Amino acid sequence: MIICIILLPIIAGILVPLLPFRKRSHKEIFLEGAVILNSILVWYLLLHHSESTFLLAHFTGDLNISFRVDGMSMVFAGLVSGLWPFATLYAFEYMTKEKHENTFFLFYTMTYGVTLGIAFAANLLTMYFFYELLTLVTVPLVMHTLTREAVLASRKYLYYSLGGAAFAFIGLIMVIVYGSTTDFILGGVLDLAKIGDRTNILLLIYVMAFMGFGVKAAVCPFNSWLPQAGVAPTPVTALLHAVAVVKSGAFAIIRLTYYSFGTEFLRGTWAQTTVMVVVMFTIVYGCSRALKETHIKRRLAYSTISNLSYILFGAVLMTPLGLAGAITHLVFHAVMKISSFFCAGAIMHQTDKRYVHELNGLGYKMPCVFGIFTVSALALMGVPGLAGFISKWNLAQAAVDSNNPLAYGGVACLLISALLTAIYMLSIVVRAFFPGRDFDDSAIRDVHDPNWKMLLPLFVFTVFIILFGIHSQPIVDFFYDVAAGSY
Amino acid sequence: MDFVCNFPFFSILISLFSGTICSVLPEKAAKAVNRIVIAAVGVMSGILLLYLLGTGESFVYWMGHFPAPWGNEIRAGILEAGMALFFCIIMYLSMAGGAHKLFDEVEESKHNLYYILINLLLSSLLALVYTNDMFTAYVFVEINTISACGLIMIRQVGRTIEAAVRYMIMSLLGSGLFLFGLCIMYDLTGHLLMSNIKESVALLIQSGEYQIPLIVSVALMCIGLCIKSALFPFHAWLPDAYGYSTVSSAAILSSLVSKGYIFLLIKIIYRVIGFEIFNNTRIIDVLFVFGLLGMIFGSLSAIKENDIRRMIAYSSVAQIGYIYMGFGMGTQAGMVASVFHILSHAATKSLLFIAAIGLTEVSGGSRKFIDLTGAGYRNKWAGVAFTAGSLSMVGVPLFSGFISKLLFAQAAVQVEGKMLAALIVLGISTVLNAIYFMKTVIRIYATTGDTSYPCITFKDMKVHAIVLLFFIVLNIILGVSSQPIVNMIEQGLAMFA
Amino acid sequence: MYLILLPILFPILAGLCLLVYRKEPERKLLTAFTGICLVITGALVVSALTLARQSLTLFYLTRTLPICFRIDEISVLFSLLTVIVFICAGLFAFVYMKHEQKEKRYYGFYLMVFGVLNALCFAGNLITFYLFFELLTLSSLPLVLHTGTKEAIMAGLKYLFYSLCGAYASLFGIYFLYHNCDTLTFTAGGVLQVSPASPEGRFLLLIAFVMILGFGVKAGMFPMHAWLPTAHPAAPAPASAALSAVIVKAGVLALIRVIYYIFGADFLRGSWVQTAWLTLALVTVFMGSMLAYREPVLKKRLAYSTVSQLSYILFGLAVMHPDAFTGGLLHVLAHGFIKGSLFLIAGAIIYTTGKTKVHELRGIGKEMPLTMWCYTIVSLGLIGIPPTGGFVSKWYLAIGGLAGDIGIFRYIGPIVLLISALLTAGYLLPLTIQGFFPGADYDYNTLQKREPARLMTIPILFMTILSVIVGLFPNIITDYLTEFVSTLL
Repeated sequence: MIICIILLPIIAGILVPLLPFRKRSHKEIFLEGAVILNSILVWYLLLHHSESTFLLAHFTGDLNISFRVDGMSMVFAGLVSGLWPFATLYAFEYMTKEKHENTFFLFYTMTYGVTLGIAFAANLLTMYFFYELLTLVTVPLVMHTLTREAVLASRKYLYYSLGGAAFAFIGLIMVIVYGSTTDFILGGVLDLAKIGDRTNILLLIYVMAFMGFGVKAAVCPFNSWLPQAGVAPTPVTALLHAVAVVKSGAFAIIRLTYYSFGTEFLRGTWAQTTVMVVVMFTIVYGCSRALKETHIKRRLAYSTISNLSYILFGAVLMTPLGLAGAITHLVFHAVMKISSFFCAGAIMHQTDKRYVHELNGLGYKMPCVFGIFTVSALALMGVPGLAGFISKWNLAQAAVDSNNPLAYGGVACLLISALLTAIYMLSIVVRAFFPGRDFDDSAIRDVHDPNWKMLLPLFVFTVFIILFGIHSQPIVDFFYDVAAGSY
Repeated sequence: MDFVCNFPFFSILISLFSGTICSVLPEKAAKAVNRIVIAAVGVMSGILLLYLLGTGESFVYWMGHFPAPWGNEIRAGILEAGMALFFCIIMYLSMAGGAHKLFDEVEESKHNLYYILINLLLSSLLALVYTNDMFTAYVFVEINTISACGLIMIRQVGRTIEAAVRYMIMSLLGSGLFLFGLCIMYDLTGHLLMSNIKESVALLIQSGEYQIPLIVSVALMCIGLCIKSALFPFHAWLPDAYGYSTVSSAAILSSLVSKGYIFLLIKIIYRVIGFEIFNNTRIIDVLFVFGLLGMIFGSLSAIKENDIRRMIAYSSVAQIGYIYMGFGMGTQAGMVASVFHILSHAATKSLLFIAAIGLTEVSGGSRKFIDLTGAGYRNKWAGVAFTAGSLSMVGVPLFSGFISKLLFAQAAVQVEGKMLAALIVLGISTVLNAIYFMKTVIRIYATTGDTSYPCITFKDMKVHAIVLLFFIVLNIILGVSSQPIVNMIEQGLAMFA
Repeated sequence: MYLILLPILFPILAGLCLLVYRKEPERKLLTAFTGICLVITGALVVSALTLARQSLTLFYLTRTLPICFRIDEISVLFSLLTVIVFICAGLFAFVYMKHEQKEKRYYGFYLMVFGVLNALCFAGNLITFYLFFELLTLSSLPLVLHTGTKEAIMAGLKYLFYSLCGAYASLFGIYFLYHNCDTLTFTAGGVLQVSPASPEGRFLLLIAFVMILGFGVKAGMFPMHAWLPTAHPAAPAPASAALSAVIVKAGVLALIRVIYYIFGADFLRGSWVQTAWLTLALVTVFMGSMLAYREPVLKKRLAYSTVSQLSYILFGLAVMHPDAFTGGLLHVLAHGFIKGSLFLIAGAIIYTTGKTKVHELRGIGKEMPLTMWCYTIVSLGLIGIPPTGGFVSKWYLAIGGLAGDIGIFRYIGPIVLLISALLTAGYLLPLTIQGFFPGADYDYNTLQKREPARLMTIPILFMTILSVIVGLFPNIITDYLTEFVSTLL
């Protein structure tokens, strides 16, 4: 079943350029059908999962490729499968203006399968495998436009990702050698007897592995690939560089920290302090860069950098509450950011404008898009009643609860970042709705909201932002259960 | 003694004599003979391997039935047979893959010579693999050098001659040092057969006499072989030699010739000096350090390069650094990793060279990156193959490179003092590998804008494409089902002792 | 019980309807709709006030974060002020907004702010309060931005930045409070069970200070007051009136709620936090007056005056003495009415003459006598001359200050208040003097009666009268207040 789920989108993707579609709409139906079917299968699996591990193949020694459904995979797979059908729908409309559609959908759909592979991986090696694969299938998407900018961006993306994986690999080795198994077990698998007095070396390796996986999660100083990768078509930037790829990095770090090294081993050590400082710095750094950036998508990308570090901040608190906070933000941020990215994409698609200062007065021409953008902006700021508030609340509570003075500083970082978020997001909104007294709107007279394929995902995401903000109890309870290891 | 036991001797002899025959045959026939010999040797090695796996013991073959210490011996174990088989496979594929370029690169009249050299090379490699006699080893080292030199030079372009001269000088220096070391060793022990030397060395160590000359002898042999296998900083000859020779030569040289020397070194370590004794010397630390430096500097040079073939050549320097790093760890696991990397690198590097030629072909013969832009679209097979090779080099799971990285890292963890250095350099080196290989991969897929160069389809390059496919499959086999191979290496190394 | 939601949801929904409605409706229709909505909301608030002391838990954000509403005396006081000022300023706007664009947007947000303010008054716990506190900032932002000039936009962003700074500083505190308290429901006397001497207590004192600074931003407390003199004048006059009279009071309300209903006065009394707070309040009182004194633009001068006057209230809160607290609450009302009418008057002047600077307004009293009479009366009130509202509140403040257990501030406080009162006279009365006594060289021939429209004068007059009533019959209010103040302190 799991294999099926992972392979279905990959095969569907490969079929796109091979099948002779007579009309574009046939292709759309085929792809959307495949993606929706897969999402349904994923949800079916999540609701009827069993504890057993599915072994696909033996690697060297006792290393193997195997899959399992546990709490974290439910969260991540549920998230990804929830977003993908909408993103695909959006992509159909968006891609009408771009070339090489088939290649795009080939890799775009394949990425779905690979991401699910990361989610369902039962051990570190399997995850590492799909993690590398994810880099490879997404590179063509970054490179899609084949402009010089895109080539440079994809190059950088590759260097960073593969390089990061190289260091994460060292962590993998440590777990293989010093752990009792490489399977993910909440609480860690390190065998203290084997470690002996090598604690410090292991901590050093942890930090290295953290930074290695952190590359995908855009931890400072390895974040510059993310804004550059914004040259990709918006469905890619939105879904992959705000959700699938970068969240895989965060997901991998959570796996590494909570399920492999174990929080018992790490909590209170210098390694925790180090990574926490890095994460806190990134939170503020990302926001400040976003403030300076005038390209809309790059601004959002910097915002993603900062928000990813929120997740990591929760993760490096190394308490169950911290994990719950991290998971909450992992899910909620995905919805908020994809919504704002899709708005940015809709703006680019309808008007070809890509800089903040060009947006004057567009709010009245595209009320739906900008209205939704405002909601997502407010949510990202953490206005109560919207999703962002809840996730920040959970993170902050975990930080306060951890009794770690540094974490208190982290709470302050969260709030500083919220303030900066307010400025860089709302300045867009203000521009769009308050273009100035003598604004001449003749240049944008014909601009209007995009069609339903673009708007439907946006509306759905907005509904979820509000729903999560107002009535988050069931889902947050679920997250807490996951963090406590009940699934 | 079974008939199969004659195979090592046969294979060396066949390839040696077929070289002689080739000189009088017409070109086409020479080619056929060459291929058949390689294939036959491969088949024989395969049968031998199966036989050895069956018996589970190595055997010693007396040449002319003279017992030691007078006679010359051949020894065959799992590792030897496996190595010979693997060398044949790579060689066959490389020859097949580069065949269509031979006409462009080598004068018509020299084709026969080319096949002669290849056959000689094969026989010398096999001899290096199988021999149990140090002096025989030396002789074949020289034969190997000469034939390799010829292979470089045969494409008579200005740079190749210069490269060949440089290679000749460095190689001779290397074999000279090896000879010195051998002389001292003979002086100390009075033997030339490996097993006999080993006994004497063990006695010497026990007695505590002649320690320094012994170390000097070992060091000289090591350095000699290091130079010949282009360990950093003795790699200056390599980029030109690999970069400008014919495709098949480059593939064979990079993946086999240097590996032959390295394999000889492994034999010396295990069969002549003794693994334990060797590990107690400081030499392994030196090898370790130079291995690490090679991993970094080789890659750095590769990054600076803007010629695809030279870049791949420089990458060899880095990969050889990996192998020596494995030696330097001084553990069984490190050695296993090194031997595996010999295989994995050979499979990958020849793939890259052969794929690179496919790419340059559709870029007006230019090897500069700027001309290669978009080559991956013009020659799809070569593009895919190059990508696969690059991914293997970077160490992406599914490919052989990942397994060697895994083995190296696992080995490194067992060595307390060298663990961090090895792991960190492994990481950095992966980053550097990613930089230059991925840069190239992105380059060849960058844009379809320039269509002034022709495209090549499958029909135009059937053989080439199939060879590439075989190489990819080989890589993936090494990458996916590595466990039997690793087991075999372990058994083989155990037989050495 | 759900009646409590009506005065919150009705104006917000009405406002949203206006905003979402695509066409710009006919002006008459628009004003009629807004007027009716305002009045209905007012009625709803008053009817909701009958539900005092009942609480309604609406739903939970997460398992432990309830959204709940509850009406107590403080709510009554603040919501009555809100209703009166909002209806008055709303009526005023019907005429005033004629010369602004996009009226629909203005009324839409105006109604939403109204609803949010009601919610703020009715909030039953800190989370609910914080929710509406942020919404208040966001919904009032468009009012500041409304004119769309460059200054207005910059002022709006400044307002946003400062307000959010404050809100997030407070949120920082809330995170820690939540961790240390069992509940964040507003309870007279506080819910904190920690002794200020314990290590957590010492940390919580710091948190209290951060929250005072944070919520103090909205109340224009030094050092985060700079947004106020920029943002208030940038908004259209009726919006400035609402901002200055009510919205900034949200900061005061916040501080009352946090200090008296969460921390508890006992927790802070005598700590360094109280000292710091008193110092900041007094510095603001003095500084606001000085800056107002030097300011030539009328609306800016009034804004500085707001800075100063709000800190009178904060001083009253910081003393933590029943009399001072009563004085502070009285001043909330008095200042609300006075500043509301002052800003409306400034708006009326701008509307009719187009002049913004004080020295340009010579003889204005001859042109608009009724307006300027109102101006004079409320000015006297703000200065604190009996029998106006300002006098009573300041009286209580001074008494409380003298009686409070606050060391040297017992003397400094009243002295600063007095000096500031003098300065208040100094910056408010010149306009009266110039306006009614333009001097010998004033050309009476050009004089023409330019009394503004009735819809403008009536709100001004109404609020002026109310401010006097507060002064004349303070007992009604003080009697109402003293009873529950004793439960707080």
